[in-house]
Amino acid sequence: MEAELKRLIISALKLEDLSPEDIASDEALFGESGLGLDSIDALELGVALRKTYGLKVETVTDEVRASFATVASLARFIAAQPESGDGP
Amino acid sequence: MTFNPCAVIPSHDHWTALPGVVAAARGQGLAVFIIDDGSGEPAAAAIASLHRPAAGVTVVRLPDNRGKGGAVCEGFRLAAEAGFTHVVQIDADGQHDLDALPELLAQARARPKALVSGEPVYDATMPWGRRIGRWITHLWVFVETLSFSITDSMCGLRVYPLAAVTELLAGEGVGAGMDFDTDIMVRLFWRKVEPVMVPVRVTYPPGNSSNFHMVRDNWKITRMHTRLVLTMLVRRLTGATAPPRHWAGLAERGALWGLRFVVAAHRLLGRRGCMAVMAPIVLYFYLTGAEQRRASQRFLGRALGRQPGRLDGLRHFMDFAGRALDAFAAWSGTLPPVAVTCDTPDAFARIAADRRGALLVVSHLGNVELSRALMAPALRQRLTLLAHTRHAENYGRLLREFRPEAAARVIQVTDIGPATAITLQEAIERGEWLSIAGDRVPVLSKDRVVPVPFLGKSAEFSEGPWLLAGLLGCPVHLLFCRRCDEGGWAVSLEPFAERVELPRGRRVEAIAELAARYARRLEAECRRDPFQWYNFFDFWREGA
Repeated sequence: MEAELKRLIISALKLEDLSPEDIASDEALFGESGLGLDSIDALELGVALRKTYGLKVETVTDEVRASFATVASLARFIAAQPESGDGP
Repeated sequence: MTFNPCAVIPSHDHWTALPGVVAAARGQGLAVFIIDDGSGEPAAAAIASLHRPAAGVTVVRLPDNRGKGGAVCEGFRLAAEAGFTHVVQIDADGQHDLDALPELLAQARARPKALVSGEPVYDATMPWGRRIGRWITHLWVFVETLSFSITDSMCGLRVYPLAAVTELLAGEGVGAGMDFDTDIMVRLFWRKVEPVMVPVRVTYPPGNSSNFHMVRDNWKITRMHTRLVLTMLVRRLTGATAPPRHWAGLAERGALWGLRFVVAAHRLLGRRGCMAVMAPIVLYFYLTGAEQRRASQRFLGRALGRQPGRLDGLRHFMDFAGRALDAFAAWSGTLPPVAVTCDTPDAFARIAADRRGALLVVSHLGNVELSRALMAPALRQRLTLLAHTRHAENYGRLLREFRPEAAARVIQVTDIGPATAITLQEAIERGEWLSIAGDRVPVLSKDRVVPVPFLGKSAEFSEGPWLLAGLLGCPVHLLFCRRCDEGGWAVSLEPFAERVELPRGRRVEAIAELAARYARRLEAECRRDPFQWYNFFDFWREGA
């Protein structure tokens, strides 16, 4: 799942100069350190995740926010979704 | 709740009237604490001679002058130690007609949790310096409490519930000088201690001059009010903050009374009368809001094409106050829906019939909120507001309490992440309208701005709305609501872009094009009535 997510991040955000191995699972995706994705990337990633996994977010709580921090936390979040894996 | 009061009389160099004051208190069966606040001779000796513990009169001397507040607080401490539940504060100069004491005590006994305060009925002997101070204070206390239940906050004759006072003093500082009386009253009010007013005749005996210092004390009072208002605003805007946890709820309740007051005044006095009532408050914000004032001047200079004068600036601020007033009036149902006409009926009907979700780009021009208030409920239900600050959420909560159907969904987009993107997309798929300001600080991040010409000079506009529209793949409409010269409002809902394409590599140019087109449209609307631009913000970065 983590490898799949890394490929999705690279293709959705057109990060052609990166390979999945360049992204550590516990690396911060956004902000100054780590991968350093910006807010536009965040939006695009959200759109791509929803398309691929049918992710649903009712309200944005701090907990939900934290789930999108790294590839590892995101993988856990997707696995915990009621109908993960068979999205549209 | 038991009621066991004592009297506290702070005195700094007042002694001639003191025996009479003490006798009046004793006449009501009150134990008396006289706090000699560092008096010089001969006052100190005269005050000390009144010390007769066996007869219920205790004199405590503070070697240094602490100011009235410091002295009264010392009295609170002594009274609490001695097991009293209430403190009757009495000024030592004999200015209050102590025939009012029985009535004050009766009120306090009936409402032991309230602060029972004298409400002075003055005779002609009041000095001018104090009159000015009182007038300023009266206005201020209204702003601070958004309530008229405190009709006088400076009277030194009152009955305090000691438990609430002790709790307050443990958590917050209170002004030590002549600002004490008002400061403690407002802060108690914030802590839900209800004020009860009892009329008291006041005279200023000529031979016994007050310690009130015209310049110094009026300055202190002004400073205290500035502090109180700032405290209030900061607490309000940041929501619940320490120390008093229940403040947030109370602040909003206070504001709710404020809203009700404004609405009642609007019904009673009409818009003009209400504006007159608000004028001093607006004047204050005009005089103290240097940054907003400069922003207003810069904007007016560009939009009017001439150097704006002071009156233009004041008019701009008054219009701003009027905008809030109109919005409240609309929410309160005082304005009939017919007050709003539509500039673009065909487009409006087409957009309303379109079931797709869309991005509505709004601006700080005119009164979009009013258009939301008077919108058909079915349309209003489609709206979700995208806001930058917590302030919008607080305001939304406030409105909800005031009028439940006013509740708007608000999504905070200051710190936008993938999770927010998903909720926004879901909203669009449900056919909602996401409203977002196109003329304010960048939504997504501070660097997400694009320079475009606006009113003759390059200004930074947010990329946010256009990026969002591109990513969400939804149509963009513009919504304006302008107050007409002849009264009433005109709404304009117009299609702006059917679809926003942001091809990689051309993204920057595509966004700049959209922002420039929006700025042109906004500019045309601004020139129509510059005074309806309520965006007190340094658009052209000329302040830097």
